[in-house]
Amino acid sequence: MHDLPQQLANGLILGALYGLVAIGYTMVYGIVQLINFAHGEIVMVGGFGALTAYLALPGGTTLWLALPLMLIAGILVSTLTAVAAERFAYRPLRNAPRLAPLITAIGLSIFLQQLVFSFYPDAKKARVFPKIPGDPFSLGSVTIQRSDLFLIIAAPLCMLALGWFVTRTRSGRAMQATSQDPDTAKLMGIDTDRIIVMAFAIGAAFAAVAAVAYGLRSGQVDFRMGFILGLKAFTAAVLGGIGNIYGAMLGGIALGLAEALATGYIQHLPGMHLFGGGAWKDVWAFVLLILVLLVRPQGLLGERVADRA
Amino acid sequence: MTTTETAPVIPLPARAATTLTGLGALATAASAALPWTWTSDFPGDLTYTGAPAGLQWLAIAAGVLTLVLLLATQGTPGLRWAAPTRSNNAVLLAATGALAVAAYSVTAITVELGGLANLEPGGWILAGGGLLTVLGALGLPLDRRTAVPVRILDKRLFLLLPAAPLGWYGAHAIPDDQPVAPVMTALSGALAIAAGAVLLLQLGHLANSWLRLGKADRPLPPPRRLPSWVEVLVIIAAFGAGLYAITFGIDTEYGELFTGYLLLAALVAAALTRSGLITRLRTLTVQHRPVTTGAAFAAAASFPFTQSSDQYTSVATNILIFATVALGLNIVVGLAGLLDLGYVAFLGVGAYAAALVSGSPASPIHVQFPFWAAMLTGAAVSMVFGVLIGAPTLRLRGDYLAIVTLGFGEIFRITMLNLNGTTGPKVTNGSNGIPRIPDLEILGFDLGKPHTVAGIELGRFSNYYLLMLLVTALVVLVFARVGNSRIGRAWVAIREDETAAEAMGINGFRLKLLAFALGACLAGLAGTVQAHVSYTVTPDQYTFADALPPNSAFLLAAVILGGMGTISGPLVGATLLFLIPKKLEFLSDYQLLAFGAALIVLMRVRPEGLIPNRRRQLEFHEAATPAPPTGEPTALTKAGA
Repeated sequence: MHDLPQQLANGLILGALYGLVAIGYTMVYGIVQLINFAHGEIVMVGGFGALTAYLALPGGTTLWLALPLMLIAGILVSTLTAVAAERFAYRPLRNAPRLAPLITAIGLSIFLQQLVFSFYPDAKKARVFPKIPGDPFSLGSVTIQRSDLFLIIAAPLCMLALGWFVTRTRSGRAMQATSQDPDTAKLMGIDTDRIIVMAFAIGAAFAAVAAVAYGLRSGQVDFRMGFILGLKAFTAAVLGGIGNIYGAMLGGIALGLAEALATGYIQHLPGMHLFGGGAWKDVWAFVLLILVLLVRPQGLLGERVADRA
Repeated sequence: MTTTETAPVIPLPARAATTLTGLGALATAASAALPWTWTSDFPGDLTYTGAPAGLQWLAIAAGVLTLVLLLATQGTPGLRWAAPTRSNNAVLLAATGALAVAAYSVTAITVELGGLANLEPGGWILAGGGLLTVLGALGLPLDRRTAVPVRILDKRLFLLLPAAPLGWYGAHAIPDDQPVAPVMTALSGALAIAAGAVLLLQLGHLANSWLRLGKADRPLPPPRRLPSWVEVLVIIAAFGAGLYAITFGIDTEYGELFTGYLLLAALVAAALTRSGLITRLRTLTVQHRPVTTGAAFAAAASFPFTQSSDQYTSVATNILIFATVALGLNIVVGLAGLLDLGYVAFLGVGAYAAALVSGSPASPIHVQFPFWAAMLTGAAVSMVFGVLIGAPTLRLRGDYLAIVTLGFGEIFRITMLNLNGTTGPKVTNGSNGIPRIPDLEILGFDLGKPHTVAGIELGRFSNYYLLMLLVTALVVLVFARVGNSRIGRAWVAIREDETAAEAMGINGFRLKLLAFALGACLAGLAGTVQAHVSYTVTPDQYTFADALPPNSAFLLAAVILGGMGTISGPLVGATLLFLIPKKLEFLSDYQLLAFGAALIVLMRVRPEGLIPNRRRQLEFHEAATPAPPTGEPTALTKAGA
């Protein structure tokens, strides 16, 4: 167990990534009760937006200059995609039976994936994403890749900014009111349509940050990256209590830790020596989801799971 | 509500319009007797005089049908049965079918052979005939709405129109050696496509407000009572015609013919619906339920006897597997309203279970179960997984089930990949799958060998087709019997409003679990046959979304496209979703892209599917029906949705 601190650090970093994506699921769900299956693809689109910005810069630009520009481009692309999706695909279905928007979301997810696959040059295979050059840091027995620095700095900043926005600004409070009771919020003069667009946009912006972090971490982006990432992030959102913003981050970190520990230690359990390692980590994350649903279906910080009539 | 009138779009004297339509239809049909092109390079070889081939048969069908419908709406004795509503819109739809076949054929010949010069006089007659038919039909008194306001798209979208050429210019301004240049080219291409779509949509709106075609309320005259043996014969003839039409579609040998077939089939279906013939037939089938069921089964079972080789029976077998699984999914999604996004995994569980006990040399379990035992094993294992997945999630809101099943589908695939001996126990051979699954032998009858029945040789796939048909019949039987039982009604009640259903004493969780487990069990059953049909099971056959059905996304799409909660809906949906990608190979690169876009559009335009369940159709279009004239707030009516 001597590598426990290392595994914990890996889990925290991975968890922060899941948490950032999970915010998008949870915000949209909290307000319109829609699982936006296409959110994983919003992440992916953001990653390709950032990549495009990187390609457009003259070769040899230092990453310190390129990174903010990539971030802006990624946020721009994913936000525009999410807002367009809300406007043209989801909004017309707002009063339709529940299955309809879910199926639209699946369609959108496949559509966005294939759009990038077919039309982004060379996207049929993974495209190389820049990494932050340099040796990894060592803090005691823990080693941290330089590329992970971005996530370590960006994730808490994003969370603080979101917390401030939701509790301190007028729009943020309007958003809380809408998620508690959309009809009453409307009667109080809140433009709920605007609030819904805002929820999609904020989720997408966070998704773009996550996409850049993912790209830096793994050194590549590909058109399929959103599927598993989205699935994990949704698990994280459920784990933390869907609809709860802090729960999403907490759930992300819990999931990340669980995954890192399962990857590292499950093969040491008696009789499980064949089920450890990276190949099974998705399976364990999923088993965790089922266990959580069995034991505490409302999630770590959630309050209610009941249907709102 | 919109009001309707009966008036022509193009003001022509009634007699002139009728003559024009008739002449056009005749010309379209007659053009098939002449060569359409001079070279045999075009698929189907359309160069002979007096020997129609391929697309020419479609032109004959379209022309004759238009003529029949025209004569029927004019009240010609002996043909009036074809158009009980007497609606000229049916003629217009059939005429559009003729024009579609003509326009498609002429365009295909011109584009593929390079230039209009490749058209022979037959081709010109065809084009003229198609055009004349539609022009004439537009002059017939049609059912039209009195006023359709011109719809203009969101003004901001028109910004795309100047943006597209600007984007093009921008993309060309970047030197080609920049790494970003191809990205810009792709972006400007996307911009151009978007601008084109906006333009087309706006033109469509303009055309709609000019044509103002609508559906008038035309009461059907009561049907003439026929002796019941004649009615039975009519049903049998209808199913025979249906079998012929479907066989034609499956047997199309090249993409051009299939496209033409699809265009014509869609418009003919619309025309016959509008003419009232479909309604008439439906009334007949309702009166003679047992005959209908028997005729449908017999028509399906006689398909292999119409085939001379196994080439298309393999296609038909795969369609049947896909359709059966879609029908099983329809119990879960359509009746009980549970969204299952990993349904194909249950098919996979059944297939893997059957493969492991099939006696395949690659299976680590060296046993060979007889077929009935393998089938039961597959179904039972699948059901166990269904209960394992369903029990924790079905107590919660439906959305959780969606994501858990999506996860399950993915985890199934990963697990099957991992059980390869290096990353896990050696069970499934990982990505190589379990190959060399032996052919089935039932009661000494080897399904792998050709057999001769009534002078017709039935190959391997024909045998499996007939076996699969029995499984399909079983699933149809289960669906019909359960759907109309106390349980089925409880499912529908849960689907509509779970809280209200529970207040009525329905145990929601138990019934949902029953639906979920039953669905899993039926998919497992189909999986056991699939394993033997395809010789090999690999993890990649069971993914969420892939270019080839069956996969979870296509299964769901088959259910939704066809119509949730009906038997025929998923069968039609599965057939279409299997044949379109199979026959139109040129689509292959953009097939999934089109599929995703089609799902989004379908949900906006026709969320109830092609063959809607009556109740569901009302539910989806409840906003369009006028509000009850009481003082009640309209929000109350929404509460159940």
